[in-house]
This record gives sequence, structure tokens and C-alpha cells, in this order.
Amino acid sequence: MESEFLSAGFLSALFAIVLIDLVLAGDNALIIGLVARNLPKNIQNKVIFWGTFGAIAVRAVMAILVVYILDLPGFMLAGGLALVWIARKLLTPEEQGSENHLVKGPATSFAGAIRTIVIADAVMGVDNVLAIGGAATGSVLLIVLGLAISVPIIVWGSQLVIRLVDRFPSIVLLGGAVLAWTGYSMVVREPLLASWFAGHPATKLVAVILIFSISLAPWYSARMSDQMKPLVVILPGVLVWMLCFEIAASVWQLQVDYLLATQTGEYILEAVRWLGWLPLVAAYLWVRERLELRRRRAVRG
Amino acid sequence: MLLIRHSCRANSAVRTTSVAGELFVASVVICMILASFGDAVDPALLSEVGLEFAIFDFGGELSVLAMRHWHLLQLLLAGAAGAFGIFVLRVFAAGLLRILRPAGRRAIDKVPISL
Repeated sequence: MESEFLSAGFLSALFAIVLIDLVLAGDNALIIGLVARNLPKNIQNKVIFWGTFGAIAVRAVMAILVVYILDLPGFMLAGGLALVWIARKLLTPEEQGSENHLVKGPATSFAGAIRTIVIADAVMGVDNVLAIGGAATGSVLLIVLGLAISVPIIVWGSQLVIRLVDRFPSIVLLGGAVLAWTGYSMVVREPLLASWFAGHPATKLVAVILIFSISLAPWYSARMSDQMKPLVVILPGVLVWMLCFEIAASVWQLQVDYLLATQTGEYILEAVRWLGWLPLVAAYLWVRERLELRRRRAVRG
Repeated sequence: MLLIRHSCRANSAVRTTSVAGELFVASVVICMILASFGDAVDPALLSEVGLEFAIFDFGGELSVLAMRHWHLLQLLLAGAAGAFGIFVLRVFAAGLLRILRPAGRRAIDKVPISL
């Protein structure tokens, strides 16, 4: 789906890409610094230049690959689900001062340093490139623009990005929401599921609430009291329960619409669909409470 | 490691975001969900099943508003407008409640009524 240049769709996708570039920008400067710190001064400059060049080259190759990969059946769905996980991870606060696990230690040779930098950037950039690929909706121009925006951030913009998100932390929340929205649009654009979604329009409602409830869980759970916290698991669980019945109806040709039910078995199935989750939720709450009591006793003991 | 992890405020954005920021993002998320509600209902269905469906089905109402065709920028603008509306309502509601609240019995501004 190509958007017309400078149309609302094009500018919206560009805005989403800029936001994704901001919130998913990796700390390449730190990695290059960590890798090159023990090398001689003359090699350090070379490592900084070629490391940055390698990081940009890897981003470009991955962006080209994403354009082709997302066209393959199944990958749009997988990419959408991956974005949901990325959005959730983005909103989950991390321990401060945690070590960068991508770099084991300083490199001892020029080739080793470049290899470490390129691999680290490839690992860090996967989520960024995937999200840009999803937001670009197949437009090569938008992917090139996304790459053109992420490169200055890699090279010079790290301090600027840090200052911006420090002043306006809501950018991170908005970034999480845009990632979830992009993930949802990728899931519903999946060619393998397009006809199924057309036949089951209500599942789109379930899917969007499920995706937002999973990806924004760190945000709304931070605002909930301890008593309400189980909702973080129960809400997505109930939605998955409902989706399972829709899928089962398609796979085994079952009648799950109560208006069309005519036989006793179909009515029982309906009852299980609408009420069957209640004992599961009760069991979950009971087990949770028991575990909490046991944990408190262990702390006291 | 992500750049945002270098800032304490951005790292724990779920706790440090201002009320106004949260209201704006929450409004945008609600607009996104409403847009997909509109997306889930085929407007052609409205003419088939009649006005009753259009009146009682929320998704149908929203698809009439063509929210299903809205792009991210439009959703952001709608979210900003919604957040501003809620903010104004809150200010007015707070003012109204303050007026309705009776002053203390011995308050200076209590109007003395003596028969």
C-alpha cells in the first residue's frame, strides 16, 4: 500500500517512523567507546570511523531485507507480534546501571573491534528496522527516509535524544502506543489472515484491545492498586479465550454464534464460551493469593 | 542498550510522565481503538440492516464518522482535542464543585442569615 507523497497517510507514516527512531535508538557511541577503549590511539580513530560506517551499512542491508521479508506470507503477522513485545519492553523500566551485554569487553584488534560493533548494531537495530518496515507500509521512499533519520541519531544525535526524552517522557509512552498500533496494523494486513478477518470482523475489535492491553500493560499496571493488578493478566486472558473460540469455529466448523444456535450442543458451547472463563479467573486469583501468602510467610520466616 | 535508558525520567516513563502527557497519550490510544472499531464494521452493512443497527451499534456510528480511514496524525490531533476537552471539563467541574461546597459554619465568608 503506497501512500501519495506528502499526503496525510505519508506524513503520518513519516511521523511514526521519526517517533520509532527516537524511542528505539540504540547507544552505538557507547558500544564503539567500550570496544575501542583499549586500542592504540591511531587505531581508535579508524575503529570509530569504520565502526560507524559498518553500523550504517548493516542498518541499510537490514532495511532492504525487511522490505522483501515482510512481503512473504506469515512474516507480517510475526513482525506485528514482535512489535507488541518490543512496545511492552520499551515501557518496562530497566534496572539503572545494567551492563551492556552485547559487548563482553574491549577488543584487542582492529578486525575484532569492527566485528563486535557491527554485530552489536545488528542486534540493537533489528527492532528499529522491523518497526520502520511495518510503519512504512511497503513504501521504499519511507524506509529510505527512516534510514536517513536514524543515521544522524546513530552518529551525532544521542545527547539530543536523551535530553528530549528526559524533558518529555510522554514521548516514550506515545512511542509505545505507536508501536502497538503499528503491530496491530501489521497483524490485520497479514495476507494469510486477510480473508479470515473479513469473515470475522468482530475479531478485529478483540485483536486491537488484546494488543493494546498487552503492550501498554506496564503503563496502566503502574497506576493500579495491588488489588487491581490481576487485571493485567485477566483482561488479555479473557480476550485470548474469546479469540480461541473464533479460531475453533473456523477450524472445526463449529457454530459459536448464539443467534444461529439450534442444537443443545451448540447452546452448551455458547455457555462455555461466555461463562467458561469465570472458573479459570477464580482459579487464577486463588492460586495468586496462595502464592502471595506463601511469599509473605517466607519473608517473615 | 536503548538511548532512553540513559535518562532516569525516560527509563521509568510510566511513572514520571506528567498528568497532561498521560491524558494526551491515553486520548490518542482511545482514538486508535475507536478507529479500529470503525474498521471492524463494514459501512455497507448499515444500509442492509437498517437504521436500528446504525443507532444501536457503536462501531457502526464510528464507521459513519469515517474514523476507520484516519491516519496517525489525525488520530494525534483528535487525541489532543479530546485531552484538551477533558482538561477544560475537569477545570469547570472543579470550579462548580467548589461553588457547591458549603462554607464552614464559622468561615469568614459565610453569609450571616439572622431572623
